[in-house]
Amino acid sequence: MASFVWMRLLESTAERYDRGIELLSRGRIGSVHRRLAELATADAVGARVLDLGCGTGGVALACAARGARVVGIDANAAMLEVARAKPTPDAAAAPVAWLELDAMELEDRFPPASFDAVASCLAFSDMAEDTQAYVLEVARTRLVAGGRLLIADEVVPEPAPRRVLHALRRWPLALLTYLLTQTTTRPVRALPARIREAGFVEVVEERLWGDAFCIVRARAPGGEGRAGAAP
Amino acid sequence: MSALAVLGGLRDTLLRMLPHRAPTGLRPIGRPGADAAVLVTGNYALTVRRLQRALAGRDVWLLVADSRGINVWCAAGGGHFTHHDVIAAVRAARLSERVEGRELVLPQLSATGVERRRIEEATGFRVRWGPAQADDLGAFLDRGRRVVARERAVRFPLRARLEMALIWGWPAALLSAAVAAGLGGWRTGAAVAVAVLASVTGLYAAVPRLPLRGWRRWPLFALFGVGGIGLGTLALAALGGIEGRSWAVLAVAALVADAALAVDFEGTTPWFVSSFAAAGHARIELEPERCSGAAECVQVCPRGVLAMDGGRRQVTITDPDACIRCAACIVQCPQDALRFRFDDGSVVEADTIRRTRLNLLGRRSVEVDGLRGPGA
Repeated sequence: MASFVWMRLLESTAERYDRGIELLSRGRIGSVHRRLAELATADAVGARVLDLGCGTGGVALACAARGARVVGIDANAAMLEVARAKPTPDAAAAPVAWLELDAMELEDRFPPASFDAVASCLAFSDMAEDTQAYVLEVARTRLVAGGRLLIADEVVPEPAPRRVLHALRRWPLALLTYLLTQTTTRPVRALPARIREAGFVEVVEERLWGDAFCIVRARAPGGEGRAGAAP
Repeated sequence: MSALAVLGGLRDTLLRMLPHRAPTGLRPIGRPGADAAVLVTGNYALTVRRLQRALAGRDVWLLVADSRGINVWCAAGGGHFTHHDVIAAVRAARLSERVEGRELVLPQLSATGVERRRIEEATGFRVRWGPAQADDLGAFLDRGRRVVARERAVRFPLRARLEMALIWGWPAALLSAAVAAGLGGWRTGAAVAVAVLASVTGLYAAVPRLPLRGWRRWPLFALFGVGGIGLGTLALAALGGIEGRSWAVLAVAALVADAALAVDFEGTTPWFVSSFAAAGHARIELEPERCSGAAECVQVCPRGVLAMDGGRRQVTITDPDACIRCAACIVQCPQDALRFRFDDGSVVEADTIRRTRLNLLGRRSVEVDGLRGPGA
């Protein structure tokens, strides 16, 4: 088989993923996980949260630490393995259910209205645009009426000078991350518009880190009473 | 072919050891109708380019699934291309609305990580294994989407071997030449490049004829290294740079580059087991009482290790020495009748192999109590 030396590099990607993303976000990814968890659990104690494309489990564990009942799904078994090996943040917290499942297979496993919140960090930037559209539609149907959608991901800054500055800053980090993990991330484009097209309402985009990262929050239609509780 | 396509092909070939993503999604080749064949592949740019060339003049759908920009075989072996990705591609393309047929043709080499039955359950599409090589796709389609036995074997013809020599030779030549140039001047660097490229090309050309695996590869590599140094010496003389120091740098640099390649020469070929493969010392084992004669293993084995015994309606292992431990047969067996057995007597069952993938074997034992591959 073609180069096992090459495959040896690939196989340890998952173990090194956290290090790579930590480097790329310059140590700030943990604060995003906590922010998503705060938003996902704002409506109810013991909310049912889905971490979509959970990877090594950052968001899922942050949600569990806030008392949520969490399911983390990811198609990458090696990433899940890393997530499973992490300790539950709080002895009283319910353990996260880790499932090897692609975001596109959500409909096979969960009936409609299974979750109060769907959160996702750095997963959409790994999906093609047609995949994003499909996943958003299915996610909407798996949320309860008024349920929350929370997506954190990398974006390209809008003002041109910032865009150039961002590209110059990002390149060396992206190269280093690629050399360490053989993975990289690609900024998502037009995410709020795509979320609206998928039928979500109350779409709000929050930009962080010099306009280069966003947290988009939205709600599944219906459940007007719950929507008033937005922070 | 346009100059741009030629340059793109050259870039993808020279950098083929690195992931290079092509766009995913359903793309038409020719003018496919709703009943045309749907061929699935990964989004490795070089593969997509070559498939489009191999299928020129035909009317088929190409469904490009996300293999993280890695070729199908390596990606499937490493867990980077699985049935999840194929299911995702089918759904994202809304395939069931765009084609009338309910059949997907999967590349045979993806069988090491893509589980056929999981795709059929999730999508309602029937999965058929295509040939191991893209070159055979035309004949496969002409035959009514049927693979003949010889098309299941992965080939390594001279053209592919020379391409592999180039892929491994140029970075090795460039690196060793740069070091040699620093130590002995540009003429020495150029001579080292000649020596390395010549010995690497000779080695790949000789793959079918010489025992270039196991401990026996080392003297053969030394022999080819000396041959390369001979050609490098001629180059050095032609450039007018021959003297004691530059020749010594040439000899050492060329031998070091050859030795680096020798470490896992087997792993750069599709015929031998890598020196680094965790399952390298395992052997394939069949439990005859579980075998139902479905023969899926025979359909996906790229080395002709297994054969159907028609009389007993069961599979038999006919050529175990040819096995490259790709585990495709184990992953696809509907009865879990195949497994790996290691020298110490321990076994790794199908369920474990499906979860850990070939090249993760022995590393990820957290979820598998009591079953640890060697090196865990």
